[in-house]
Amino acid sequence: MDYDDQGQILPPDGMCEVIEMVGGSGVKVRQAILKEYRPVSNHSSGGFFGPRACGENFERLLAVHPTYVEPANSMCGVYMVNFLSYRQPAWNPDFDFSHLHEEQERYGIDHGIGGVQHFCPDLTIGLKLGWGGLREKVNRHRRVNPHAGEFYDGLEAVIRGVQAWIGRHALESQRIAGAEPDGPWHDNLQQMADICDRLVTEPPATFREACQWLVFFQAVAKMYNGSGEWGQLDELLRPFYERDSARGLLSDEEAIFHIACLLLSETAYIQLGGPDAEGRDLKNPVSFLILEAIHRLKIPANIAVRVGDDFDPRLFRRGIEILLEDKMGFPKFLGDKPVNDGFVRNGYSLELARQRIYAGCHWLAIPGREYGMNDLIKIELARILDYSLREMMADAAAVRGVDDLWERFVRHMHRAVDVVAAGIDHHLRHMHQVFPELVLDLFCHGPVEKGLDASHGGVEFYNIGVDGASLASVADSFAAIEQRIEKERRLSWDQLLDLLDRDWAGGEGERARLMMRNIPRYGKGGSRADEWALRISRSFTQLVREKRTPDGFLMIPGLFSWAKVIDFGRTLGATPNGRRAGQPLSHGPNPEPGFNAGRPGTPTQLIHAVAAVQPGYGNPASLQLDLDPGLASDREGAETIEALLRTYFDLGGTLVNINVLDRATILEAFEDPARHPDLIVRVTGFSAYFASLSQELREYVVERIV
Amino acid sequence: MQEDLNVRGVVFDIERSAVHNGPGIRTTVFLKGCPLACVWCHNPESRSVDPELLWSPERCAGCMQCQDACAQGVHQFVEQRHLLERRRCIACGCCVSVCYAGALELAGRSMTVNDVLVEVMRDEPFYRRSSGGLTLSGGEPAAQFDFARALFREAGRRQLHTALDTSGYCSWECLDGLSPYTDLFLFDLKQMDGARHRALTGVSNERILDNLRRLDTTGREIWIRVPLIPTQNDDDANFQAIGRLVSTLKHVTRVEILPYHRLGESKYARLGAECRLAGLEPPSRDLAESRRVLLLEYDVPQVVLRR
Repeated sequence: MDYDDQGQILPPDGMCEVIEMVGGSGVKVRQAILKEYRPVSNHSSGGFFGPRACGENFERLLAVHPTYVEPANSMCGVYMVNFLSYRQPAWNPDFDFSHLHEEQERYGIDHGIGGVQHFCPDLTIGLKLGWGGLREKVNRHRRVNPHAGEFYDGLEAVIRGVQAWIGRHALESQRIAGAEPDGPWHDNLQQMADICDRLVTEPPATFREACQWLVFFQAVAKMYNGSGEWGQLDELLRPFYERDSARGLLSDEEAIFHIACLLLSETAYIQLGGPDAEGRDLKNPVSFLILEAIHRLKIPANIAVRVGDDFDPRLFRRGIEILLEDKMGFPKFLGDKPVNDGFVRNGYSLELARQRIYAGCHWLAIPGREYGMNDLIKIELARILDYSLREMMADAAAVRGVDDLWERFVRHMHRAVDVVAAGIDHHLRHMHQVFPELVLDLFCHGPVEKGLDASHGGVEFYNIGVDGASLASVADSFAAIEQRIEKERRLSWDQLLDLLDRDWAGGEGERARLMMRNIPRYGKGGSRADEWALRISRSFTQLVREKRTPDGFLMIPGLFSWAKVIDFGRTLGATPNGRRAGQPLSHGPNPEPGFNAGRPGTPTQLIHAVAAVQPGYGNPASLQLDLDPGLASDREGAETIEALLRTYFDLGGTLVNINVLDRATILEAFEDPARHPDLIVRVTGFSAYFASLSQELREYVVERIV
Repeated sequence: MQEDLNVRGVVFDIERSAVHNGPGIRTTVFLKGCPLACVWCHNPESRSVDPELLWSPERCAGCMQCQDACAQGVHQFVEQRHLLERRRCIACGCCVSVCYAGALELAGRSMTVNDVLVEVMRDEPFYRRSSGGLTLSGGEPAAQFDFARALFREAGRRQLHTALDTSGYCSWECLDGLSPYTDLFLFDLKQMDGARHRALTGVSNERILDNLRRLDTTGREIWIRVPLIPTQNDDDANFQAIGRLVSTLKHVTRVEILPYHRLGESKYARLGAECRLAGLEPPSRDLAESRRVLLLEYDVPQVVLRR
């Protein structure tokens, strides 16, 4: 992935160079960095660690980070480089965890140690206080917690840096306004200059100011560590909308324009509608205006509509209409009841569950109160199966069979969860000394007050997300082995291992591969593979749930693999489900493409399959649904999709991403991306321009759909 | 009840998530066997009531396992070319079970009402949310009357909405016997001109039209479905006649126009049969829309153009 995948605006030519590195979500990314900026190291490794060094280095980055002002845009300020790009090494080698390496590799574990953000701020804090108020708050609490001086130094440096950067936008807007002849652009720039000038210290007072405040926040949060959450945006903006509308200062058209400029600045994650703590529907006029803005923009967006039987069905319906009309893979939809019921199973109240909102690819968080390492930790189940199979084959005393294989698989999965738990504790012990969450800390309840980073006890709740990956690949593998080796005896265990090692080479190999593939697979409904998928999901869930980490942190199971199905698959040999070495693994809880004996899987099949394997503790396992436009073209299309999704939620399904895609279009775009430069697809948890995706991600999307 | 569950029929497909065969989200069960032979038929494998072998040569991996599996000598490999001696085929399915490449399939399998309902009931939660249900199609489902009636009777016991997709070409007793268990009839009208109807489908339309009029007196809901086949039945006179007839019927709540598509062409090849309309292009959007507008000149309920 690279800055194109993110839709990032790059610094002006001559100011930047391009480097390769491992990004915040653990995949390799290409990044642009500013040539003139070098952080100051405070460690023999050459890196910089701890709150003061991170805060001050970030302040220096902001000081040289370009401003971004456009005369026709009502919002200014975008991030152009990632602070993470300068953190070499990213982890402080003093906090060694090499004792975990061997098993982390053996089980294909993304350990999440050193992972950043992936929780949700409460932006009402910032909208109320403004950057000046935040600075006062930091200084007030600095006096209460003198021992945490270095932490407060870091926070204050960040605020200083942001204030100076916003101030430079005021000057830049003023400067360009001066060069513009009188007219709408001049007026816009003049207003922008005034707004920026105020926002250096003051909280926003108008709708436009609130949007601009959110743009600056988001640019800074993204720049600092890739964070991208606005959360319940409709409710954040509602008071400003109501106030300005009542005074006749804001028309809906103006509001839509400002929102569009806000959405243009960044694809941060947004929830629309859904309950307040008491279960009342938060939907308000701004919810519809946000949908309208993205409908008119037609650019990638990460918006989820929260759906429940008690909420206004019009927001749900409008979301579906836009999905069908724009065919851009958004909005996505989140089932209110399934995620609430699930979260309550952890022992939390329903009131709390309702406040846990959609804030990332596939995850939820309670704004400002919960730290989760969401999407950072993955266990690659296919690799565990491979290890278990080889262990069984090497064990002379083993009675080879599916039962023995399953017993080993569960034992190693258990061990993998223990290794993950040890990694979580390691992260939570040291992260605050490595790279604290200085931006998001400001918008949480606790870190400033207690003088503790969010990764170190600053917030109330620690619910660490642990995802299982490649469920379908493993379920189909077990079912294929069971049917072809154990029941029909068409293949021996030794032959299987040999075929895997030789990657199904030769005519006989290909025939065996087709034989292993050609079984009733997960997703079909009522098949053995469906039962295996359920069994694997249940076991994984139980292992993650049955105890806390040694330091006492709760882990919540999920099934999600993000775009990592490609990375995971690349280094794994052939698998018993007929997959060739190096090919991608299955995605999240979804059945493999082509599971339905060569015919496209039907929506009801997919819904049944994915709803059944939900871990069920409030962290979603999201369904990827690729709908043929034929289903959606008729007048009844919206009703049909509404019924499909409501049933998905009835059955316990949590989150759903939908592409409405014409096979012919996607194939054309695959052959010649230039023919469809505007084609937007939902890749996994995120939407992107198809043409901007890497070749591998394009292949992945095409394979799934065609 | 148990008796109904054990009745057997020959089914050639069960389509889940069907949204174009009646209201809501449905499962469509396709029965084999049809007394008509429409030149545009897109389910040629539905005509014979017996199971038939389908072959997709482009998928053949050339592994020759089918040759070993077949006791009838249907599969022959001559100079690495796979040839089928279809006359010898008894549709036993032995070759299909070893064809892992998926080149061989059997169209048609004997299933009990219970077997079918197990599949149909999987999507029951979707029917409830969408006011959908079970559609029986074909072939001509009335051709397997006992099975159709038993299936619908059992569906009724499960409170499923039932729709019968019929050509109308069967005895009145068949339709009359099914109507107590049928919530909606999807009744095809193809060609109003008797001679042309015979030429295009192989049978007269007299019985069809008579059955439709009689069905209307039972009070059951009817949707009229008109396949739109360029050069075959797309003329003004045909659609005017359809409009005139429908305007005399009391219980028709919708007319659907189903434009011809070419998805059936490849099935003829897989069956080793000839597609008489090979190469015929689907109707243009404008033509289809003009037929819709023409029907609206008559006293008909809503006219829906399917894609």
